[in-house]
Amino acid sequence: MQPQDLQRALAPKLGERLLGVEPFAGTAGRVRFERTAALETFRAMRDDLGFAHCAMVGGIDWVETREVLYVLWSDGARQYALLSTTVPANDAHVETASGVWPSANWHEREAWEMVDITFDHHPDLRHLLMPDGYAFHPLLRSFKLHEPEELEVKVRHV
Amino acid sequence: MSEMWINMGPQHPMTHGLWNLRVQIDGELVRAVDPEMGYLHRGIEKISEDRHYNEVITLMDRCCYVAGMAWEHLYILGAEAALQVRPPERADYLRVLCDEFQRLGSHLMWYAAFVQDLGLMSPFLYGMRDRDLVLDLFQSFTGARMTYEYMRVGGVRNDLPPGFADRSRKVLDWLDDRFREYDALCLGSTIFRKRCDGLGVLKGPEAIAHGVTGPMLRAAGVKRDLRKDRPYSAYDRVDFDVALADSADVTGRYLVRMEEMRQSVRILRQVLDWLDHHPGPVVADRLPRWLGAPYAPVGAEGYLLKRNYPKGLGLSAIEEPHGEALSYVVNDGGEHPYRVKFRSPVFANLSAASTYLVGYHVADIPPIMGSVDVCVGEVDR
Repeated sequence: MQPQDLQRALAPKLGERLLGVEPFAGTAGRVRFERTAALETFRAMRDDLGFAHCAMVGGIDWVETREVLYVLWSDGARQYALLSTTVPANDAHVETASGVWPSANWHEREAWEMVDITFDHHPDLRHLLMPDGYAFHPLLRSFKLHEPEELEVKVRHV
Repeated sequence: MSEMWINMGPQHPMTHGLWNLRVQIDGELVRAVDPEMGYLHRGIEKISEDRHYNEVITLMDRCCYVAGMAWEHLYILGAEAALQVRPPERADYLRVLCDEFQRLGSHLMWYAAFVQDLGLMSPFLYGMRDRDLVLDLFQSFTGARMTYEYMRVGGVRNDLPPGFADRSRKVLDWLDDRFREYDALCLGSTIFRKRCDGLGVLKGPEAIAHGVTGPMLRAAGVKRDLRKDRPYSAYDRVDFDVALADSADVTGRYLVRMEEMRQSVRILRQVLDWLDHHPGPVVADRLPRWLGAPYAPVGAEGYLLKRNYPKGLGLSAIEEPHGEALSYVVNDGGEHPYRVKFRSPVFANLSAASTYLVGYHVADIPPIMGSVDVCVGEVDR
């Protein structure tokens, strides 16, 4: 499967909300879509294009925006495909994929607690790796492990 | 009052690691399950953002404590895709060698722990004994038995020591014989069959929808193996079959893992033969300076090179002993990875726990969870 095949299948359904399909090494392509078209994109990928396996959902913090990256696999084409949508950091939410692929459930819980992206209509959006009530989102760029100064060793000359 | 929640874990012989399986029971029947993870979370993805590319390798060994080599391989492939580095051919074969020995080590560990869960004590000792032979081989060329730190961006750290191929072939011959004994001990045992047949059934379509991969998926008859479907390193140049079963239950998963070990032995024999006849470099020449020595003092030229990291996103996928492992490494042009993300196969297999546990008895949970082959290190990261 080529990026053009993805483009041809998705463009009629998404229209302008399909922001583009670009080639990506080792996959069928990388699909960029508007978050308002999330559910249509998921359904089209699964039902029309045969990507029945959602391998991973991950978040990337680009400081002003956040990117949600879905990695899908098709047993028919024996290929991966990437889906990505970008949301503003101060309004980071996107429709859940767990209704289409149940496997997205835990991945979205992790993306929510680590990168602070809310998944609308998620059946069970609670902490997974962090304890309940944990107030931080560790994989945001603003979450610093340490300041470099703290690690400086003071040497006393005698 | 007839239904209640009980905790199996975090300290329970069934867990094989530190996690908690909350089970809702009605008498002896399992009504619902809710795995509670995070006890082993060390923030490996976050720590990676503060490290040089080669320094992340030490963390990967700690990701999965029975399959460190496979996780190194996964990360290295992602980093190489992001940094656009190609390893020499001999390094590709050495990586396959590491992966397959690691698969043997991991599956033998699984065999030992799983059969012990069923109450058969002697197979535990046999499994651990034979796994030690594999670890001895690892020690002879990496210096470590668990945390190898062997692979590098652009190749591997060092070549094999003299006499390694002969020692390996002896171990492989020995293991080939032992697999017959394992089968006789397990498949011939009434206790084993009564505790495994028809339990934890997870059929193909449901397994795919829930993201289950690896031996669990192949035990349901779905032929998906990334080594065949999307060959990486030298897997397109070796000959092997994908292990399959169709019963989709605990016994099926046992059969698949046993067959995978036989196929690993087959792959290793071919790889050892190839390595005998094709000496060569094991690290890419013309490696950028910043990849060779992270702490080397850099002059003006080195400084310029340091600024020349290609930007991009590298995706890699390998067939880890537990299933499909994925990673992406995002590079924004800095000297550390901007973002690293790993997909652990056990993570997905555990998230589907309700599909293969609900409806069975509480006493069935240890054999079923044993057949999942849980490694909490890679789930929690």
